[in-house]
Amino acid sequence: MAAIELDGVGKVYRDGTRAVSDLNLSISDGEFVVLVGPSGCGKTTALRMVAGLEEISEGTVRIDGTVVNRIDPGKRDIAMVFQNYALYPHMSIFENIAFPLRSQRISRVERRQRVERTAAILGLTELLKKKPSTLSGGQRQRVAMGRAIVREPRLFLMDEPLSNLDAKLRVQMRSEISRIQSELGVTTIYVTHDQVEAMTMGTRIAVMRKGVLQQLGPPQEIYESPQNLFVAAFIGSPGMNFVRATLVPEGGELACLLKGQQILLPRGVVDARPGLIEHKGSDVAIGIRPEHLSVSPVEGPTLSATVLRSEMLGAERLVHLSVDASPVMTDEMVEAAEDVDPTALSTLRTESIEQRVTLIARVDPSVTATVGEDVLLGVNAARLHFFDLETGATIA
Amino acid sequence: MLVLAVVFCLPLFILFSVALKAPEDLFTDALAFPTDPHFDNFSTAWESNTGRAGGLRTALVSSLIITGCAVTALIVIGSLCAYVIARRPGKLTNTLYVLFVLGIIVPFQLGILPLFVMFRKLGLIGTYLGMVVLWVGILTPLTVFLYTGFVRALPRDYEEAARMDGASTWRTFSRVVFPLLRPITGTVAILTGLFIWNDFFVSLIFLGGSGRETLPVAVYSFVGEYLTQWNLVFATVIIALLPLLLFFLIAQKQMIRGFSGGIRG
Amino acid sequence: MIADPRDRQSAVSDSAASPSRRSQSLRKVPWILAVPAVFALLVLRFLPAVIGATYAFTSWNGVGVAADWSGLENFRAIFDEPITSKALFNTFRLAGLLVIIANVGGLLLALSLHKALKTRNLLRALFFLPFALSHLASGYIWQYVFQYDGPLNRGLRSLGLESWQRTWVADPQFAIYTVLAVLVWQYTGLAMIIYLAGLEGIPDELHDAVAVDGASAWLKFSRVTLPLLAPAITICATLTLIFGFGAFDQVVAVTGGGPVNSTETLATQVWRNTFIFGRYGYGSALALILAGVVATFAIAQVGLLRYREKQLL
Repeated sequence: MAAIELDGVGKVYRDGTRAVSDLNLSISDGEFVVLVGPSGCGKTTALRMVAGLEEISEGTVRIDGTVVNRIDPGKRDIAMVFQNYALYPHMSIFENIAFPLRSQRISRVERRQRVERTAAILGLTELLKKKPSTLSGGQRQRVAMGRAIVREPRLFLMDEPLSNLDAKLRVQMRSEISRIQSELGVTTIYVTHDQVEAMTMGTRIAVMRKGVLQQLGPPQEIYESPQNLFVAAFIGSPGMNFVRATLVPEGGELACLLKGQQILLPRGVVDARPGLIEHKGSDVAIGIRPEHLSVSPVEGPTLSATVLRSEMLGAERLVHLSVDASPVMTDEMVEAAEDVDPTALSTLRTESIEQRVTLIARVDPSVTATVGEDVLLGVNAARLHFFDLETGATIA
Repeated sequence: MLVLAVVFCLPLFILFSVALKAPEDLFTDALAFPTDPHFDNFSTAWESNTGRAGGLRTALVSSLIITGCAVTALIVIGSLCAYVIARRPGKLTNTLYVLFVLGIIVPFQLGILPLFVMFRKLGLIGTYLGMVVLWVGILTPLTVFLYTGFVRALPRDYEEAARMDGASTWRTFSRVVFPLLRPITGTVAILTGLFIWNDFFVSLIFLGGSGRETLPVAVYSFVGEYLTQWNLVFATVIIALLPLLLFFLIAQKQMIRGFSGGIRG
Repeated sequence: MIADPRDRQSAVSDSAASPSRRSQSLRKVPWILAVPAVFALLVLRFLPAVIGATYAFTSWNGVGVAADWSGLENFRAIFDEPITSKALFNTFRLAGLLVIIANVGGLLLALSLHKALKTRNLLRALFFLPFALSHLASGYIWQYVFQYDGPLNRGLRSLGLESWQRTWVADPQFAIYTVLAVLVWQYTGLAMIIYLAGLEGIPDELHDAVAVDGASAWLKFSRVTLPLLAPAITICATLTLIFGFGAFDQVVAVTGGGPVNSTETLATQVWRNTFIFGRYGYGSALALILAGVVATFAIAQVGLLRYREKQLL
């Protein structure tokens, strides 16, 4: 059980490339913190620095108050679960789990007991004599966890342990890992690029991009109050909808002008975000989550849109609509789109050329929406997010 | 570590420095590089011959012809055979494959005498054709082994696409499959080429006295002639080594990769 | 050339079928393509080997066609004659020492070079170079080095170790070690690159896992690195053993088999007896022994590798 402090931690490689900048994290005992971000954002490097597998270029890492920068990984009393499990192929499962204990002064009898106990927790007892190559992906993953657990360390580090599993297994293992962690109460730092994993598993999430921490907070806070464009775009599936609009005065109030349409902002919305006044007359990015758009008639501001597609997902329906507006094309948006898949990126580009944005609305399955239909899209103005186009920061 | 490597290559340094020495200085200071290099040692070595119609120049040509033809023949014959084995899975081809692997293990010294007798009867002793045929015999098992593993791993999609386009077997092989085999062909060429070029035993037996000796054999007879004139001996050795050294400088990465990869198979 | 519509049809309908059904839609690769290779194998490799093996049991002396069956007479003679039995002994000694020195050396080099990043390629090339050179030429270089007035003795003199000087090449006791020196020089490089390849085959993550598990360097080496290198060790040991047994060029170049036949090996004896003395039957018997030993080790290697593979399952 340990408290971890990252103080101004940075990593610069010998050729000058910078992987992590000024990372500050304070993790309390027993917390499950998730480092999440697109590939290359520095999350794995940060994890490896805490593990001692990468040299720390700047700043300090403290475990339970002691600076560990120069301490060997093996002496930091930490355990790590690797993306590809790193199981020793020539050893049996028993030996794999027992290996970390060999370097500690533990009697053979106690070693055996601990391994068997760990195997029991993970349901591996029947597999102890087998070799890793005969096991399935999910079983191997559990052995990797077992190797970490058996050490009874004060810190767990996990480097995308679920990314090699298929979707169903991933969901299953997610809850198992959470369960084990809360049972054992060991402080855990978990790295993933999957934001669904991050949201479901962490007590706090740290979103990273290009080596810089974007926002740190509990999942709900990150979801509802993203501090910048990147966090807003990265978290959430399907992602937040974005359009570019100009803030114009409209009869004493403020409105968002989208190429011919306006969304009048209720007084309450403007009052809650004093920063909006400074942006009067300029372009901003506005974002709204799919669940805050409605296709059926509601009170409040609306947008004219044309239905493109309607996807039935069982418990909900996703309606894709086309709106006459400019998309937001900043670096963050491009990077977030790239991280989804290549088609998202080309969609973004097409939108920019054609000046029509596709919005996704999350509605009740009973709602009907015919392709080609012109509808009035209800916008829950209280849930609008505004972002400065230059800095990407949320306008509060 | 670098120091160790340099010390390791000390013999080569000695080789070069001795080759350039004057006869008197031979045993004075072995490690020092001569102050007045005697390049004429090289010309003496190059021009001289041992009374037969041989000589370093002839030997170089000989080595080039034999190595070139043999390696080419091996690549063609070996890849075709591997194609058959890999693309016609079945009991017969599997047995064939095992036979080839056995062929690698059996050392060729055992069959050298009967081959010699056979070749003598066919008049192939001391001929280029004879040597090429001999090398094909000795190294085909290794070639087939290397190629088969590679072809087996190739997806059949390319060949099926070619078939759909109406290509004949030959065309499919030469235009589609063989180009895809380039990496392993490189390995095969290097492994077999190196072996053939440096070979002494086989070439001595089959080419000795024919006037078509390869470089190693020529070096052997010259050394016999020069005895303790080490500077000339080494000049000869350097000339004989030069083509290989150059090749090594250019292709060493490939060479090393070829060996470690080929061995892994 | 117009495609046969039947091919197209069956190809399409078999697209989802199992591999054996798929291959039926391909026109079969004709056997004839393999004929040259098979011919080479059988006529130029197996046949002579079998014939050679039978010669071993005759007393053929190259004169005339007649060859009397002499059974194991040749083999008995091999062990009786001092030169050949010494050659036999030398061969085993050389091969054995070579295997140990070259493999240990090669492994140590590979371990140190594995981490060096910048100079790695250069160092690798430098250590491998001797292997690529003609064995004969290398032998001559080393013969010079071992000359009484040569660099080695000179170096010893300058270091003040005069008493260590020897007539290396001319001393029946030491000559065999001069041959060993050349062999080690050449084959350590080969061993090194095989082990480097083996080390590279160990996934990086395993290194990380060991580091986090806090294993000492010895524990890491003995429990993780070495077992994972086992296949490479088997291959390399067998290879160096086979090369050691067949050592011919180097012996001829360094000592010529002398002094007083103290450095003869199986391979040189085969050559001498067959092609110089004309004792065809005797020479073939020697060759058969050589072939037998090599084949035994090679087959043992394959067996060992297979056994290991099964162990991993």
